[in-house]
Amino acid sequence: MIEIKKTYKNYVGGKYVRSESGKTFTLSLKNDSFEVPLTSKKDIRDAVTASKKGFQNWSHISPYTKTQILYRLSEMIEGNKDSYIELLILGGSTRNQAKKDIETAIKNIVWYAGFADKWEQVAGNLNPVNGEYFNISHQNPIGVVFSLNADNNSLASLLNSILQPLTVGCSVISFSEESSIVALKFAEDINNSDFPDGSLNILSGQFENVYEDISKHVEINLVSINKEVPTEILTKIQENASNSVKRIIYMPSMDGISSVLPFLETKTVWHPKGT
Amino acid sequence: MNNKTGVLSFNWDKTLELLKDSRIDSVGLNDRVDSLATRSIKKESKLEALNMLVSMCDLTTLEGEDTEGKISQMVAKAIVPNPNDLEIKNVAAVCVYPSLVSIAKEKIGNSSVKVAAVSSYFPSGQVPMESKLLDTKYAIDSGADEIDIVINRKAFLEGDYRKVYDEILALKEVCGDVHLKTILEVGDLRTYENIRKASLISLAAGSDFIKTSTGKLSVGSSRQACYVMAKAVLDFKNLSGLSAGIKVAGGIRDAKDAIRYLVLIKEEMGNEWLTPDLFRFGASSLLDDVLKQIKKLKTGAYQASYYFPRG
Repeated sequence: MIEIKKTYKNYVGGKYVRSESGKTFTLSLKNDSFEVPLTSKKDIRDAVTASKKGFQNWSHISPYTKTQILYRLSEMIEGNKDSYIELLILGGSTRNQAKKDIETAIKNIVWYAGFADKWEQVAGNLNPVNGEYFNISHQNPIGVVFSLNADNNSLASLLNSILQPLTVGCSVISFSEESSIVALKFAEDINNSDFPDGSLNILSGQFENVYEDISKHVEINLVSINKEVPTEILTKIQENASNSVKRIIYMPSMDGISSVLPFLETKTVWHPKGT
Repeated sequence: MNNKTGVLSFNWDKTLELLKDSRIDSVGLNDRVDSLATRSIKKESKLEALNMLVSMCDLTTLEGEDTEGKISQMVAKAIVPNPNDLEIKNVAAVCVYPSLVSIAKEKIGNSSVKVAAVSSYFPSGQVPMESKLLDTKYAIDSGADEIDIVINRKAFLEGDYRKVYDEILALKEVCGDVHLKTILEVGDLRTYENIRKASLISLAAGSDFIKTSTGKLSVGSSRQACYVMAKAVLDFKNLSGLSAGIKVAGGIRDAKDAIRYLVLIKEEMGNEWLTPDLFRFGASSLLDDVLKQIKKLKTGAYQASYYFPRG
């Protein structure tokens, strides 16, 4: 019997796609190696177009349904637990570490699934004002989020760079370098979880090839960086981003309510009390 | 401006001669058109092409929901497409329904933007001739600089070419000095042969422009249709010495696609046709993408549509 090896591809707009450039790079894991897509600037542009559409759909889905869809994601991962564990072992984890990592990942998804219809009450506010008005701070998802994943051989770590913006209704372009294999495999579970096309996109490549375009692209509203990058690159990203008033967050918090706040924009609404 | 006003170029017998051999090698045509779409246009040439696209745009709104407010918004955009970049000059024309011509004309003031009106019961044209004439007269009296009419597809598909010809002739008479654009609605004509025949009939009957589509069908303009029309215009020029224009409309949404049309026109017809007097785009959303691409070229950053004016 010949062993058939899977070709891992990017996941954009609900479809598995190769890089438009046709380029790949070799990802050498501890116990195996894979050829994965080397995302080009044009791929980024396509992903943004898909995410913009994905944002329209995902942000308009009711919080209750978001809960259901996120919960379904955890069910899908549960069903594929063994194959994740094998993949993490290829990447150098022990069986125990791998098992624990998947369990943490599932636990976190369930937490955020429950949070999807609660964050708005917690993050929003009724403000005290002088006069017969309700003054409400209404929270809205910021839009298209680009998220750079850390290099850890871990599903939990990948989800920590995705779940916060996704839960509040942002669409996410998740970009991985050394940890691409787990991310590209995770795309299959996204595909099985009723997420609208384009709401969550997975890319693999080299960040140094694309950071210039990402930080300049006006339609990306926030860049979340979950791994250490050299100061000069970070400065460059911040400079470019300032031209389109793009939000940059470096090493975002993973802690409860504060983890979703950076991905929100506040709309203030005045309404007469009618007394 | 190319002027063929008052020239009743071809009588019916001569027109029939024209139609005699309308066969088209569709395999060769498709090949040629595809090969023209592979050109890569970069940097300065691209910027020049994009600016040319703006100058050739007929900004269009043809909806039942059109109001005075919507028209003035569109006219403002036609005069100054991007208030943040005054290097970008005005578009060629705005295209509206006859009842809105006077409003558009008033808002345009002394800018060089033209007002085009669709008439002859656009988009179907399924009314008696008297009504078409009335519709057209009304648009002209309201101040339209250009008139877009539809050919009688019922007559055409029934094989009554004479009727198609006579109607255009009569409408041209009403138009006088006013520029006449004849819409073939290539999606209804279906075959290349039909497109060629309809083009030649329209040209022989005195149209200043031939136009692909109304934009109301799911099948809009195609580069293949444009190619057939380009050839017809050239053949007609060889016989009559008159240069007619082409307007492509319907379904052209991005700058990339539009530039491919420019390549086609340049290669098949030459630079002479690369002017708003002889080549136009009818589009509502094309301009937005062109403006975005111009800014992308100038700043290096991809743009979001919410930074550009609506209309």
